[in-house]
Amino acid sequence: MSDLVTLKIDGIEVSVPAGTMIIEAANKIGREIPVFCYHSKLSTVGVCRVCLVKVGTPGFDRATRQPILDVAGNPVIRFFPKPMPACSTPVSAGMEVITESKESLADRQAILEFLLTSHPLDCPVCDKGGECPLQDLTYAHGRGESRFEYQRKHTSPKKIPLGDLIVLDTERCIICTRCIRFQDEIAGDHVLAIENRGRDAKVVSYTEPKFDSKYSGNTTDICPVGALTSRDFRFKDMNKPGVRIWELTNVPSISNYCNMGSNLVLGTHVGEIRRVMPRQNELVNEIWLTNKTRFGHHFHSSSHRLTAPLIKENGKFKQATWEDALSLIATKFHEAGEHIGGIAGPHLSNEDLYLFQKLFREVLNSNNIDHRICLNSAIDDDLAYEIGVGIGTDIGQLAENSAIFLLGSDLDEEASMLYLRVRGAVRRGCHLINANGRYTKLDTVANTKLRYNYGSAVHLVLGMTATILDEGLEDKNFVYARLEGIDKLKTKLQAYTPEKVADITGIDADIIRQAARDFAKAENGIILYGAEAGNDTALHASIRNLALITGHVGKKDNGVTAILPHCNSRGAADLGVIPHRLPGYHPVADEIGMSAKEMLQPNHGLQAMYIVAADIVGEVVTCKSAIETTDFVVVQDLFMTETAKLADVVLPAKAIAERDGSYTNLERRVQVYDPAILSPTPTCWADWHIITAIAGRLGAEWTHASADGVMQEITEQVSLYKHMSFENLTKPISLERKRQHYIYSGMSFTADVREGVQWATRAENQASFFELKFIEPENDMPQSDIILVAPRVAYDGGMLISQAEILANLIQQPKATLSPSVAQRLSLSKGDTVQLTSSVGSVALPIAIDGKLPDNVVLTPRNLAGSVAEQLLDGHNIFIGVKIVH
Amino acid sequence: MTNKYLDKHVLLRNKDIPNIRDINVYIAHGGYDALKKALTVMNPGEVTQVVKTANLRGRGGAGFPAGVKWSFIPPNVKPVYVVVNADESEPGTFKDRELMGENPHQVIEGIILCAFAVGAERAYIYGRGEFKNTFVPLKKAIDEAYNNGLLGKNIMNTDFSMDIFLHLGAGAYICGEETALLNSLEGYMGQPRSRPPFPAAEGLYAKPTVINNVETLSNVPPIILNGSDWYRRYGTERSPGIKIFSLSGHVKNPGNYELPLGAPLRYLIEELGGGTMSGLPIKGILPAGASAPMIPPEHFDVMMDYESMAEANTTLGSASFIVMDETVDMAWAAEKMVHFFKHESCGKCSPCREGNYWLEQVMHRIRSGKGTSFDIDLLTKITHQMTDNCFCPLGEFAVNPINATIKHFRSDYEKYITL
Ligand SMILES: Cc1cc2nc3c(=O)[nH]c(=O)nc-3n(C[C@H](O)[C@H](O)[C@H](O)COP(=O)(O)O)c2cc1C
Ligand code: SF4
Ligand code: SF4
Ligand code: FES
Repeated sequence: MSDLVTLKIDGIEVSVPAGTMIIEAANKIGREIPVFCYHSKLSTVGVCRVCLVKVGTPGFDRATRQPILDVAGNPVIRFFPKPMPACSTPVSAGMEVITESKESLADRQAILEFLLTSHPLDCPVCDKGGECPLQDLTYAHGRGESRFEYQRKHTSPKKIPLGDLIVLDTERCIICTRCIRFQDEIAGDHVLAIENRGRDAKVVSYTEPKFDSKYSGNTTDICPVGALTSRDFRFKDMNKPGVRIWELTNVPSISNYCNMGSNLVLGTHVGEIRRVMPRQNELVNEIWLTNKTRFGHHFHSSSHRLTAPLIKENGKFKQATWEDALSLIATKFHEAGEHIGGIAGPHLSNEDLYLFQKLFREVLNSNNIDHRICLNSAIDDDLAYEIGVGIGTDIGQLAENSAIFLLGSDLDEEASMLYLRVRGAVRRGCHLINANGRYTKLDTVANTKLRYNYGSAVHLVLGMTATILDEGLEDKNFVYARLEGIDKLKTKLQAYTPEKVADITGIDADIIRQAARDFAKAENGIILYGAEAGNDTALHASIRNLALITGHVGKKDNGVTAILPHCNSRGAADLGVIPHRLPGYHPVADEIGMSAKEMLQPNHGLQAMYIVAADIVGEVVTCKSAIETTDFVVVQDLFMTETAKLADVVLPAKAIAERDGSYTNLERRVQVYDPAILSPTPTCWADWHIITAIAGRLGAEWTHASADGVMQEITEQVSLYKHMSFENLTKPISLERKRQHYIYSGMSFTADVREGVQWATRAENQASFFELKFIEPENDMPQSDIILVAPRVAYDGGMLISQAEILANLIQQPKATLSPSVAQRLSLSKGDTVQLTSSVGSVALPIAIDGKLPDNVVLTPRNLAGSVAEQLLDGHNIFIGVKIVH
Repeated sequence: MTNKYLDKHVLLRNKDIPNIRDINVYIAHGGYDALKKALTVMNPGEVTQVVKTANLRGRGGAGFPAGVKWSFIPPNVKPVYVVVNADESEPGTFKDRELMGENPHQVIEGIILCAFAVGAERAYIYGRGEFKNTFVPLKKAIDEAYNNGLLGKNIMNTDFSMDIFLHLGAGAYICGEETALLNSLEGYMGQPRSRPPFPAAEGLYAKPTVINNVETLSNVPPIILNGSDWYRRYGTERSPGIKIFSLSGHVKNPGNYELPLGAPLRYLIEELGGGTMSGLPIKGILPAGASAPMIPPEHFDVMMDYESMAEANTTLGSASFIVMDETVDMAWAAEKMVHFFKHESCGKCSPCREGNYWLEQVMHRIRSGKGTSFDIDLLTKITHQMTDNCFCPLGEFAVNPINATIKHFRSDYEKYITL
């Protein structure tokens, strides 16, 4: 902790760490000094000058170096002749600050008058009106009239599109540079700049496509005027009548696209979502949202939504009543007996998922359930259950004494919010080790970049673990008190010293050793692993060992987590939508059920299938026949997906904003979303409600009447979730935390701040004991010169996101991306098509060229329309050897 | 005898010695002797100490003692950089250009001495964008210095090595401000940085950096060679030494003149400058280009040193005197200068960016006969709102032309007020 400095602000004494700026010290005692350019999340620049205050320091006698005292013995304060910017003047001992002196009030008025000389004052048609810091401050401090009687900036261009999503109004811009700083510092996408100087200065985007960033929407929130607005909410741009922000009803919700569970506010107006804004949760998304979350809400109001139950008769769907549909389902499920299977998507709420497994386990007597549609998506339940990340972990605040070991994931694409937070940690001095088989965006800030051969990540981890044990860097206290099997592990690892794994991984032994030391010596350490690291028990055991021997477990800011694919992948596993585990990870008592993979094999032997919120055919086209050959299939969804088309009964579900529920994020944080739109589609039912109705038809006597009530049962039945009642989950944060994370000026961020609750892993129990497990890695390195790598990307081919017209241009189309030299070798140029052939299948794809890709990799995202990459993968890993021909 | 106050040139030695820009000529006239002395019989601390004792004050405008600035460089942080401010963009200032073009080796020798004193191995000369021609002889001189073992590895066969790099800006007045210069040199927008941190702690590439003006550094070789006592014989107690005065405007003999600090303004204008071309009386004199308040006739007897100029309510700044005779309409002159500042405002902070634009608008209105007497007061009020509120001194300079001309020549404004 740095030294405290005591000063007086408006006569009130306050102590803050040395180096704090006056504005933050003032905030601590509840004094709000007006700002435009300052933002607590960004670097300070001190350019708008609206925060000027009067500052004095104690006078010192030059000769004696003693403070000069007045007759009463108080130090004599010498005020600086000039006012000082509170945002960029650090405090000092004995300082006195007057925030509202006559002079500073006049200065403030002057600055506002200056700013208004270049401002069009078109508030009546400005989307910012009502939550605009310029408007608010002018109201509070302005002159009330302008002495500037000339043409204002009226000649400057308005409505300049910066890409598809954001519109710039240069007339309104006050050149505070918040947007630029956000892009440079927080997002790391250097896509904005100031062009020209003086009064001609304007914000420009010089990238192609313009304003190319997944995070650009955030600039519209922090822009202190209406210069940056989103195309989505610009009221004059839309086909429907505009809405002013004070007409919106704001409802707290959670992103259905984000595996961190970004907190957001749905701004609704007469039953429709008009905009999505971030809701502050410093532990999850701070005050940011990805564009996908912000602009991807249009599926709610899509005209393609299912609105009534459908029953297929003679190959054609016919509208049916809920009564008819439910009776038919009950009859058929009953007939199927044990030959029934269920797949529930990881976008469902915890309540839905819990009841889904309850329906199967208690009513249908089957363990044939799963949520993992295609691959075993890098989720290892034991690691999460046993270790996870410590409760209270705040990845964005990790700093100098911490290290993050990121293994096999492109966070920017796969966990965009986490990407921002890892960047934040690195900015604060956290050491980032980024290991992958190819370049990913975090390489630009990583302290250590490790480039392994695909399939060898487990060897890298073993090499690091061997180094730590060899050099005695393990956490001895932890090893002694809570681990078993260290000697056995040491022996096993003799075959995996850095020298011995250097060849197979392709990484120099010294570099492996250094990475091991950096991770082991850090006070806090977190391992994040994704599917590009591999997907087998040997890998997961090696990660587990590394976390355990370094003692980076069971405490805040330490631990391990997989980069899970979906917003509620964690909840689906927690609540037992897996064939071998009951809710809370208890092993099933009877026979292990069929996994999704087994259910989707051609000869699965099932008579009935119940598929909820999972577009199986859309994700893995080869699963089609497995569904077609099932006698009776029920699909419950929002849209007529490729899977729904094959169903016998289709049930229309409510979308997230139409109901409430909870999600569990990849850090095991359970968070509630509220219902926003009250029954715009009365014929759609919430998933938990439908499941309850089916159970009822099958003779169960469930009494659930609300998501809240289902969660009540979960808290009673599943001890991991015992603290997860909605009452707990919706508790607002304490005033103290609110103050800690105070955000300045006029935005709706403050709406209902909740932080959610994390469940405790076994490691959190300080008396728990762990046995180190060593599993010999199988050598299943792809044997090929070229390896297809098929990670997930943010702008995927999903049904929900495709309803957002505004994002249409961003959706990635399937293609094979190659390095320039591979392209050259095969004499390929842009627009050509290649045939990729693996041991599993063969597909043709147009190519793209990327200079950052290594020569042995061809990249084809797997979650795109047509699920092309899946046809080449073996269902085990997301990389596989391929042949390429022109 | 160069002039009444100086027997021979110390800085503009090109005026006495033909072809001194040639290295052999320079060496033949004692060139690089100071460097030899420093490298062989002095240690870096002693070099700094001599400059400190000489009280050589910065010639870029602010007059901060160079030796004191050098001593701020922390001893154990490496690398240290020397940056030479050759951006000379103040209207009416053209002394650095002559030094670099005509007596370049003295500039180079000064740079090497400075680098030696502060432990730098790299110096960057940041030149004004329009200085293409000046940089040709300077570049040639640098090459000559390399060829003669005066730059590069093991200078004069000692342990000391250093390199000099030339860089031309893109033509922005603000890039003469030292922190904007550093940004520009690093490839960022030429906009000033907040201070602290000061360049001595975190300058170029966030490393300790000394920034000095070309003329400041040109003073160093003679000081090292002849000692601080010799130097202090010139000038006044608090403004010792020799200074180049750039004289322009309505004078018969414009040009650069070398004088000790504290010489009388009248001597510069009348004896050296030959008085006005027209023979008409002088109406006002700008002492530091557009940046400092104009000197009205009642102060024409001021002495040209930092303290006396301050007593006359103005500043010596870069010592570029622009003389205006009676024919000049001071409202017109002020409008020109306001336009200059509006054009050169970097746009970073709101009072300067918006204030200068507004000032120009009001000036236009007055000068086109559409103003009211309220507008003259409005000008004063706007300047008042800018004063002390800007991010950097440019915005503070910008109010000087208007305030001084309104104060001393209000009738020049009033004659436009017809409404
Ligand atoms: C707006 C502005 C313009 C300036 N222009 C110059 C310039 O062109 N040349 C220069 O040497 N100093 C200029 N300065 C002063 C520099 O900021 C700095 O004080 C100087 O380079 C320090 O060198 P010195 O101590 O040797 O004078 C300018 C300052 C300001 C505020
Ligand atoms: S667009 Fe907005 S955030 Fe960006 S500089 Fe202008 S006013 Fe500031
Ligand atoms: S005062 Fe003018 S030149 Fe200086 S930072 Fe502000 S806008 Fe830029
Ligand atoms: S200068 Fe302090 S908030 Fe802008």
